[in-house]
Amino acid sequence: MHLMASKPQALNSIGPMRAFASNSKKVSTELIEINEVLMGFNQYYTEYYKQLSDTWTDAQKKVNLKAPEVPHDVEQIEAFKRIWIDIFDNDFTELFDSEKFGENYGKLVSKELELTKHWNNITNVILQSVNLPSKEEIDEVYKEIHTLKKRVGKLELELKKKEMKKNAK
Amino acid sequence: MQNESAIDPKIFEEILKFSKNVMDAPKLVSAPDEISLEVTKHDVVQEMDKTRLLHYAPLTDKQHKTPLLISYALINRYHILDIHPEKSWVRNLLQQGFDVYMLDWGTPTSMDKYLDFDDYVNGYLDTYVEYIKNESSVEKISLQGYCTGATIATAYITLHPESVKNYIATAPVIDGWRDTTVISNLAKHMDVDKMVDVIGNMPPEFMYYCFSVLKPFEQGIEKYVNFFKNIENKKFVDSFLRVEKWLSDTPPIPGELFKQWIKDIYQDNLLIQNKMYVGNQLIDLKKITMPIFTQVAVGDHLVSPECSMPLHYAVGSEDKTLRMYPTGHVGMIASSLSQKKVLPELGKWLLERS
Repeated sequence: MHLMASKPQALNSIGPMRAFASNSKKVSTELIEINEVLMGFNQYYTEYYKQLSDTWTDAQKKVNLKAPEVPHDVEQIEAFKRIWIDIFDNDFTELFDSEKFGENYGKLVSKELELTKHWNNITNVILQSVNLPSKEEIDEVYKEIHTLKKRVGKLELELKKKEMKKNAK
Repeated sequence: MQNESAIDPKIFEEILKFSKNVMDAPKLVSAPDEISLEVTKHDVVQEMDKTRLLHYAPLTDKQHKTPLLISYALINRYHILDIHPEKSWVRNLLQQGFDVYMLDWGTPTSMDKYLDFDDYVNGYLDTYVEYIKNESSVEKISLQGYCTGATIATAYITLHPESVKNYIATAPVIDGWRDTTVISNLAKHMDVDKMVDVIGNMPPEFMYYCFSVLKPFEQGIEKYVNFFKNIENKKFVDSFLRVEKWLSDTPPIPGELFKQWIKDIYQDNLLIQNKMYVGNQLIDLKKITMPIFTQVAVGDHLVSPECSMPLHYAVGSEDKTLRMYPTGHVGMIASSLSQKKVLPELGKWLLERS
């Protein structure tokens, strides 16, 4: 059906404009998917800041309990600062070390990466429309260079060993 | 009931003094570009891709026969081991008569995203060890690994035991499941496949985030308050800026290497279980039989002692020493404690075996 429908459509597209239409469709699809990912991202992002905010509130309550008096001299200010920093560091370290933070943060980063992936896909469409290699194509080149370097390294090592054997004789 | 007059006027003096210090800071503090982190004289004796081998000039007339190669971590640069003449790890070892080499892993670019453990262990590290052996006309060298550099060095000594006489593991990342740090919690929940697939190398920005969640208030507020309070103390400011400059220079980590590191060490914990493979070769810690000296910092919030200490118990060496120091991850290598306690002990141990 899709192929059949595209034939009459192709009749009224001229030269590169055909590619432009198809590229626009790809970009639109990516943008729609970005919106879907954004919903998930916002959910974890909100949870991230909620966890920070809750921890801040709890830590401040602990500080208020431990140091209820307003400091009146330099020594008292120093002592208050020490209490504040110790409690906040302890509470936030406990949060960052917790399963709930690790899990949410992992998902948040994962969504961020999905957004980046969609952005990469859009960029690839644009790059290909101006006859430039896409990220995947460049990655293939990098991979090939890496494999070749490894092979050359191994060959050089074998050659060195053979030379050493030869010299030993 | 207390009123405003009960407030000590010294508080206002302190506030005014602090404000003045903040205002004066730009006049008293050097720009980061003006600070050189190259402290001890050295030559770049070998280069491979973006990595370099540094050889430090001797500081004694006579040197011990066995050279020492330091495999620095993958996070930040090697400069912390030679950050200040009075706190330099390298300089101290040179003064003790050791012949010191340093491996600078360099700054990988997108092109290096496929570099993996095999490249680092059997490629770079092995090439440099062979170079040092040839240059020094010795069959074996001493090797020190620091932090993640120790993970690489540990893999190396199991695969190339014939090249290493003594091994020093300083805060090694070994047992990921036992690691109690925030870093390990983040690593355990990371979709590392997706990260490497989408962004290639591990970006420095992510590392900066990881640093920022370590004692955020001590490191993010107190540290800078102290800096401004001591703005007229040249020695303090110089030392502070050197460390700050070092902290802000974090190269990316090659994607494939990072992926294997996170999966094999933190998520699946393969190294300590003798199940990790590097270049199709099994890393069996029991095969480590050379003398080994493990250094652990009790207050290490980047690599917890529980993560490092299992190496001591997992190796097959009979001659093994475990030392714990009352300091942190950086304090163990760049502090007055490291100069007074850690390095003399290491030097003594190494001298007896060099």
